Amino acid sequence: MKRYFAVLLGILTAIGGFVDIGDLVTNAQVGARFGTSLAWVVLMGVIGICVFAEMSGRVAAVSGRATFDLVRERLGPRIGFLNLVGSMLVTLLTFIAEIGGVALALQLVSSVHHVLLVPFVAVAVWLVLWRAKFSSIENVLGLMGLALIGFAVALWQLGPDWGGLAAGLSPAEKPGAEGWATYAFFGVALFGAAMTPYEVFFFSSGGVEERWTAKDLGVMRANVLIGFPLGGVLSVAIAASAATLFLPAGVAVETLGQVGLPVAVGLGKIGLAIVVLGFFAATFGAACETGLSTGYSLAQYFGFPWGKFVRPREAAGFHLILLVVTVIAAGVLLTGVDPIMVTEVSVVFSAVALPLTYFPILVVANDPDYLGEHVNGRLANLLGVVYLLIITIASLAAIPLMVVTSMGQG
Amino acid sequence: MGSLAERNGYDVGLHLLDRQVLGADDRPVGKVDDVELLLDDGGALVPTALLLGLPALLPRFGPRLGSGLARLHRLVREAAADQDLPLVVDFDLVEEVASDVRLSEPSPRLLHRMAHERADDPRRCRVGDLLGLAVRCAALPRHSKVLDLRMVGSPNGSGEHRVAALLVGPGRPGALLGYDRRSEPGPAAVAAVIHWLHRHARVVELGEGVEIDNEAGEVRIRAGTSLAPLRG
Repeated sequence: MKRYFAVLLGILTAIGGFVDIGDLVTNAQVGARFGTSLAWVVLMGVIGICVFAEMSGRVAAVSGRATFDLVRERLGPRIGFLNLVGSMLVTLLTFIAEIGGVALALQLVSSVHHVLLVPFVAVAVWLVLWRAKFSSIENVLGLMGLALIGFAVALWQLGPDWGGLAAGLSPAEKPGAEGWATYAFFGVALFGAAMTPYEVFFFSSGGVEERWTAKDLGVMRANVLIGFPLGGVLSVAIAASAATLFLPAGVAVETLGQVGLPVAVGLGKIGLAIVVLGFFAATFGAACETGLSTGYSLAQYFGFPWGKFVRPREAAGFHLILLVVTVIAAGVLLTGVDPIMVTEVSVVFSAVALPLTYFPILVVANDPDYLGEHVNGRLANLLGVVYLLIITIASLAAIPLMVVTSMGQG
Repeated sequence: MGSLAERNGYDVGLHLLDRQVLGADDRPVGKVDDVELLLDDGGALVPTALLLGLPALLPRFGPRLGSGLARLHRLVREAAADQDLPLVVDFDLVEEVASDVRLSEPSPRLLHRMAHERADDPRRCRVGDLLGLAVRCAALPRHSKVLDLRMVGSPNGSGEHRVAALLVGPGRPGALLGYDRRSEPGPAAVAAVIHWLHRHARVVELGEGVEIDNEAGEVRIRAGTSLAPLRG
């Protein structure tokens, strides 16, 4: 049984990238506006994150060094610090949004306004980060997050015109009412979400937490090859079920409740209950992933003890960071800011963090001092270079597209 | 080429700076934020200690940003007057340099704060101060800098350690990313770009023709000193 649980790190990591609160809503919005014509971007993102997560996992397993160690070591203190600031902002903004997301998921069940729930959620998240074992976080939230498969079942039950959905996969099938700039904006947003930098921070640090060695490379690859494609499937299933229900009716998706509506229609109350549980687990899981990632990246940049595999007393600085970011998150959310809006802003900082994170991974994955015989092969290098170019283009395009399309409104 | 341990010679900036330092008990101690060098009586530059902590890290952010940050740090840590000096780990304690720097003793009570006399000793300098120094040499492009310091000796062995050569050329320290060493082939495309960017970089042996002037903040290389290309 333990062997099957070993892939839950990859699943939890992928949940934080593909179906966290911002992406749950973005996926449904994309489905409602563009049908399945952006699904190819998700596929591209899945391949990209697999390539780089595998490299970072391999470095972590063989050398015991997690991703931000590599960033500092190869880029030096200055550029490394620029990346630290950029990726901390992405991760912190997402962490804020996830705590709000957990509150939104609870609001669906309790009808209590989400701002009132925020302090309780923040305390719960912090207690989990402080007390729970890494493997329990991974197993419980990773497994519960699988409840989102309800979207795929609902899609099947909704009985869509499969031929129509398949035909809609081509970018040429973009609905005529939407402009190409908006299409490109959502494309970049989906790609950026799939490749968001805290996934590799969390995945590689998680590998160190799990004490992977060169013997565990198979487990690591299983994590990558099951986790991220599953995240991609969930992402496309949400978009496709929204496309089936909302696109013909011309309904715009704005809230988390609407995201779950196709499941309520397709599977009824039980299905909805399962999917709301999935919302809760996915946002809570993403909160743990991003919360821990802020601690991991700061600790790895400055070199002090980190992680849940050492006693909290020994990693006092790490746990202090977790406490501080949780307090900041609760404070920001109590101003009443919309959590989904917060994740959209984080795209700006991704533009800085993405290339500066993946470039050093690619360089170090070729360094025999780190990896010995496990350095990159030709395929990993070819894909790595191609994706580095795509990432750079996406990063450069992100901010102009955001301005031109007013964050996808236009 | 074998691992770092088997090689005779390494580059300080590439192989030592910014690596994770672990105690013998596997606990993280800090990063190699800087390395202290001593100009010994024979005129050789010898590494004497790893420097850890913000007082070692912040000056490496460059003259303007670095001193600003250092001032900010002193302001925050005013209570402890000695906090503007870095922590010192003697070079003898370095047991192994691989993807991390492993020390021969467990981490508690390993570190001590640098003494003021040591910090003011004119014979001592830091690698961070040497990297990025302007290089004056007729045979090199005008904006050349010190890119890295090449050492003899293996960081793991006990034998002789000293700076043997300077890597000089246009660009920024660290921008070579290890592509000057044959052992790191990297993706061919990235390697080709880096090689092209650093096509003017050269290795110059420390010796008669090379004068490091810390006061003026420059390195002067006399005309006629032999400059070797990076690879080969």
